[in-house]
Amino acid sequence: MFWGALAGGLVGTVVLTTSLRLAQETGLTRMDIPLLLGTIFTPDRSRASLVGYAIHFFNGLVFASLYGLVFVAVGSAGWLLGAALGLVHALFAGGALVNVLLPAVHPRMGTRYSDARETPILEPPGFMLRNYGRHTAIVTVVAHVLYGAIVGGFAGGLDLG
Amino acid sequence: MRENGYAPIRDYAVIGDGRTAALVAKDGSIDWLCLPNFDSPSVFGRIVDARRGGSFELRPEEPFEADRAYRRDTNVLETTFRTTSGSVRVTDAMLLTGDGLAPMREVARSIEGLAGRVPMCWRVEPRFDFGGKRPRIDRRAGGVFATAGGDALAISSWDAGDPQPSGDAIEGTFVADTGTTALLDLASAHREPVVLPSRADVDRRLEDTSRFWAEWAGRIDYGGPWRDAVVRSALALRLCVFAPSGAVVAAPTTSLPEWIGGARNWDYRFAWLRDAAFTIDALLRLGCRREASAFFWWFMHATRMTMPRLRNLYRVDGRLEATERDLERLDGYMSSRPVRVGNGAAEQVQLDVYGSVLDSIWRYASNGGEIDRATAKEIGEVADCVTELWRGEDSGIWEPRSPPLHYVHSKAMCWVALDRACKLAERGVIADHRKRWEPAAEEIRAFVEEHGYDADRGTYVRAGGRDDLDGALLTLALFDYHDPADPRLHGTIAAIERELSDGPLVYRYRGADGLDGREGYFLACSFWLVDALARTGRSADAKRNMEELLRHANEVGLYAEELAPDGSFLGNFPQALVHLALIGAALCVTDHERGAG
Repeated sequence: MFWGALAGGLVGTVVLTTSLRLAQETGLTRMDIPLLLGTIFTPDRSRASLVGYAIHFFNGLVFASLYGLVFVAVGSAGWLLGAALGLVHALFAGGALVNVLLPAVHPRMGTRYSDARETPILEPPGFMLRNYGRHTAIVTVVAHVLYGAIVGGFAGGLDLG
Repeated sequence: MRENGYAPIRDYAVIGDGRTAALVAKDGSIDWLCLPNFDSPSVFGRIVDARRGGSFELRPEEPFEADRAYRRDTNVLETTFRTTSGSVRVTDAMLLTGDGLAPMREVARSIEGLAGRVPMCWRVEPRFDFGGKRPRIDRRAGGVFATAGGDALAISSWDAGDPQPSGDAIEGTFVADTGTTALLDLASAHREPVVLPSRADVDRRLEDTSRFWAEWAGRIDYGGPWRDAVVRSALALRLCVFAPSGAVVAAPTTSLPEWIGGARNWDYRFAWLRDAAFTIDALLRLGCRREASAFFWWFMHATRMTMPRLRNLYRVDGRLEATERDLERLDGYMSSRPVRVGNGAAEQVQLDVYGSVLDSIWRYASNGGEIDRATAKEIGEVADCVTELWRGEDSGIWEPRSPPLHYVHSKAMCWVALDRACKLAERGVIADHRKRWEPAAEEIRAFVEEHGYDADRGTYVRAGGRDDLDGALLTLALFDYHDPADPRLHGTIAAIERELSDGPLVYRYRGADGLDGREGYFLACSFWLVDALARTGRSADAKRNMEELLRHANEVGLYAEELAPDGSFLGNFPQALVHLALIGAALCVTDHERGAG
């Protein structure tokens, strides 16, 4: 079950990243997670995206392992439970992880407390990332629910098999 | 001093912290403060409703005279009150956070007895949500709190009298003795607990804040004859920067009227791309590279969702929503209704923004700013977009509420956009599509010269098919649309001096704009005239105009958007565009004088 979740994490992260990129390209959101993550380490946009994708994939696997632990703990897995965890994951990401924790550690991102002493070059995401476009919250939730469903589906499938 | 409870706009000074700003009247009353950010609802809004708006008064209890100045090269305001009993200095600042736990937003008011014994009084009337929410006042944890919904503020007093709840206000009295210092602190919070500071912390932050501003101003690179005006303008501009994102608001206020009693009352608490070129130019030329870089990346991020199309204005946090609505409950400044929040101009098409943005990028890149491949690709797409968009009508730089036209200034700025795209391509900053851009630029120029120029009067006109003028046409000189010796440019400047100006003061236009009523002289245009005169070789006229315009600043060196014929201020205050135009004009005249010398 755990290894299934991890495999699902790999596939789910590809789907999650692709859906977010799709939403960006179609003008639904300005959110660019690889850029946000990558610019922690470099101000160069192209290099930041490269680094950011790597971190995002790594994060995808870390979260899949956490999902896997939950599945093991409750003794069952499936796309529905995965989707529910994806929903929680999205709310956590939009409400705390990217909204509060990322600006707190990001050297180039403003926070709601940044004052005239500071000149950040990345705007803070705001609650549920809505500073990056009003549809961002919906996009985030849909993408993470999709991710969770895939992780859950893989975990459940392997378990059943 | 006040009329029906309203102080003249000229009587205000601004303090701020890079997230929001407060207006302090000469009589010591803070009459405008939105919390926690520029575009949040006001908690003190007396300037737009003397009865219901709310304020933070601090003044002698007896008749007084007041004069004030900023502490040298800072955004810390010092007001000296003189009464028959003595004199007192009040130091006002919005404090920067620094290290340690500090309130989310904080206003400090330090009161120093200079001579005699002056009875003082203060009264805080918080009116959250533009006066829509009455506060709950209660005393706890060593402070007096005013709360409404998710907002709270706490008043702390040290030697400034015991804060007393009084209905839905907090007030106190004390006597300022010679050599004593009292302190009032307003700590605010939004959706989080209020941090109650100690006196030592407030004193330290006040001095740190003052030192920060002085050090920042000390780095400004200008050695010309108008140093004080330029530094004050830079400091005012810095107060319009929303530090969390780098956006620059057009002004920290809403609905200060362009004519007393009129309806030309707009919300300026947004960032306009129209101002981008002036902002980047001023910041770079003053040596403020970090601020220029932050602003550049702000607008490159903010515009990403609508790329390659650009909106006119954006919220400071990057959101697009700016729905305009009237706040019916507010009387408006001197009964100038309505008070608006949001700005309907966000929905307009304004083609000049493309020129402004491409010119900003060009200036940024020319000054060593790095542009990565993804951004370069987007810039190229914007230029491609301009090759199509320029053919349409737009609402123009002044956002009139009348039907769109073929505004000449907008077309010329489309030419600027493509010209800068070509230059960026030539430098290798963006992919080279000059084969597409150069012919389109020539086509635009041909259109402007054929439809936008009145050969009989020797001037460009406001829009194709019309014969009235437009103060924005002065920027054709600023954006190098023509060679400075070009007779059409000279003719346009002369026509604007003749038909839109009274001495150095310029109306932006006199034609119809879809609204009733009138407005004052437009100060940004007045400084653009200085700039244009200097660029076209009329340095003596430019210098004379500059000197006259500087005399129209208020006593602390600030400007509102417009000036009435009687010299009073009109419109939102302080207006970033005016201060940008002042900086541009001062730099230009100084450079040309040095060049001539």
